[in-house]
Amino acid sequence: MTLAVAADPVTAVAARVRGVRKVFGSTVAVDDVDLDIPDGAVLGMLGPNGSGKTTLIRMLLGLTRPTTGTVELLGRSMPEAAATVLPHVGALVEGPGFHPFLSGRENLRRVAATEPLLATRAIPAAVDVALDRVGLGQAADRPFRGYSLGMKQRLGLAGALLLPRRLVVLDEPTNGLDPAGTRDVRGIIADLHAGGATVVVSSHLLTEVEATCTHVAVLQSGALIAEGELRGLLDADSTGLVIVTPDADLAVSTLLAAGVAAYRDDADEPAMVVPAGDAPEVIALLVRAGVAVHEARRRRPRLEELFARLTEGAP
Amino acid sequence: MSAGTVTAALDVPRAAPLGRLLAAEVRWVLRRPRTLVMLGLFALIPVLIAIGVTVADRRPGPGRGLIGAVAGNGLVLPIAAMTVALALLLPLAVAMAAADAIAGEAASGTLRGLLLAPVGRLRLVGMKAFGVLVVAVAAVLALAVVGVLAGVLVVGGADGQLITLSGSTLGFGEAMGRVALVGLWTVGQLAAVGAVALAVSAWTEHPLVVLAAVLGGLIVFGVLGAIPALDWLQPYLLTSGWSAGIDALRDPLPRGGMLDATWRALCYLAVGAAATIARMQRRDA
Repeated sequence: MTLAVAADPVTAVAARVRGVRKVFGSTVAVDDVDLDIPDGAVLGMLGPNGSGKTTLIRMLLGLTRPTTGTVELLGRSMPEAAATVLPHVGALVEGPGFHPFLSGRENLRRVAATEPLLATRAIPAAVDVALDRVGLGQAADRPFRGYSLGMKQRLGLAGALLLPRRLVVLDEPTNGLDPAGTRDVRGIIADLHAGGATVVVSSHLLTEVEATCTHVAVLQSGALIAEGELRGLLDADSTGLVIVTPDADLAVSTLLAAGVAAYRDDADEPAMVVPAGDAPEVIALLVRAGVAVHEARRRRPRLEELFARLTEGAP
Repeated sequence: MSAGTVTAALDVPRAAPLGRLLAAEVRWVLRRPRTLVMLGLFALIPVLIAIGVTVADRRPGPGRGLIGAVAGNGLVLPIAAMTVALALLLPLAVAMAAADAIAGEAASGTLRGLLLAPVGRLRLVGMKAFGVLVVAVAAVLALAVVGVLAGVLVVGGADGQLITLSGSTLGFGEAMGRVALVGLWTVGQLAAVGAVALAVSAWTEHPLVVLAAVLGGLIVFGVLGAIPALDWLQPYLLTSGWSAGIDALRDPLPRGGMLDATWRALCYLAVGAAATIARMQRRDA
């Protein structure tokens, strides 16, 4: 993609959601969500069960219409532009859907036959490559009926990866996968990201999201309660210092004597936490008191803590 | 090639070639075990009639009705088999195919995949209708081909000729023409059933609802058709012309019955197609 195209405001955002609300009967599934997904980002969509993640993804992909509001995908209005946009989008939504009586390979060929951007003679090779990529090469010719949950999930992933995409949407991609499979998914997402594709991944495994995502969007009861760059969100939430020292007792008493709150936290290593304090001042105090300071760092919360605080604090 | 490489421009609507979609649909329909079992059962119907007629023929007493007419007159068998099957079994087979086509795909989560590919919503209806039609043609073909074979080999008689209900004799070629005509006409009737079944399939997520609707519809139509006070309803009931296939066994061939039934089928087909398309344009998946 050229710089001129990348700077184009229409294509700089892979998806734009404005004032989207979805009501099923008397249930509000998604409530007035505004969200921009930057081009090339890996967006982790987080939220408790029933928070509207899947409904939002389904509206992004034009599988269901918002009750009110607009959705733009790759710069075009959905669901009207589905025929233009969706060939460039790979998706695994609400679990893998395949036919039990066909083998994994035949199922994938059927999917490939419907892909607009795949030439007919390129189908067998594309199917083989996708199967190998998700580690299903050996089991490709067994009936889908006999697949384990993890294998089904891998086949669904293969369907999204049949051809190069601009946007890949993965709804709970690590469901039912063993640790090796989870690592594979992480590798696939990293590959897609490195290739310039935008990735939207919803997951309840926060460590996964933290390891792979550049951006996060947190949903709670259908409302978007936080969104932005992952690093930024975590930094904004960071408070205090962690000081690693073998002389933690001396360090704590030194700081308390100087009127700075501090406490020992030996959970990971002999260390002391200063909840609020100016770093140079604290370190100078400690060094002057003869405390061996091995390491001093900003305390950055894990995504898990941030998520818990966000979703539990909200009404 | 890296997975993220962008190759095609994002400019125009794109769709997979229609031929490829139809081929994929037919492959899917014909690989489904229940379709194959069903076709096997349809092939058995003429064989069973042939054996039944041959065994009954050895006993004293006149053969009765359409099945009785098969005795010693083998080429009546394919037409008799198609007429008998059209009453219930063929519509049921078509309803099953239509149930799997949309409601079944929705239930197994694959309809979503088709819409995401994307297969355009109108093309999706075309692809599904084609698949249902293939099942109807295959079932009728099984009845006709096995019917001719069983008629000639098991029942035999009439020296490869067809003795019409009017008493005249038709040569083998002309008899085959009559069989083909009834086959084609039967497929037309089934297309009407298929269109209505597909409409039901588009409106539900449960394949069983489609079967129940078609079966229930056939029974209700049968009951309504049997009530003398409701005679005026007859022209509107799809099923009321379904015995017209027997006309092909008369000489000269009366066209009225089959033509009426065909017009009626076209009306049902149009209504079914319109309802299917209307629903699929907006269906969530």
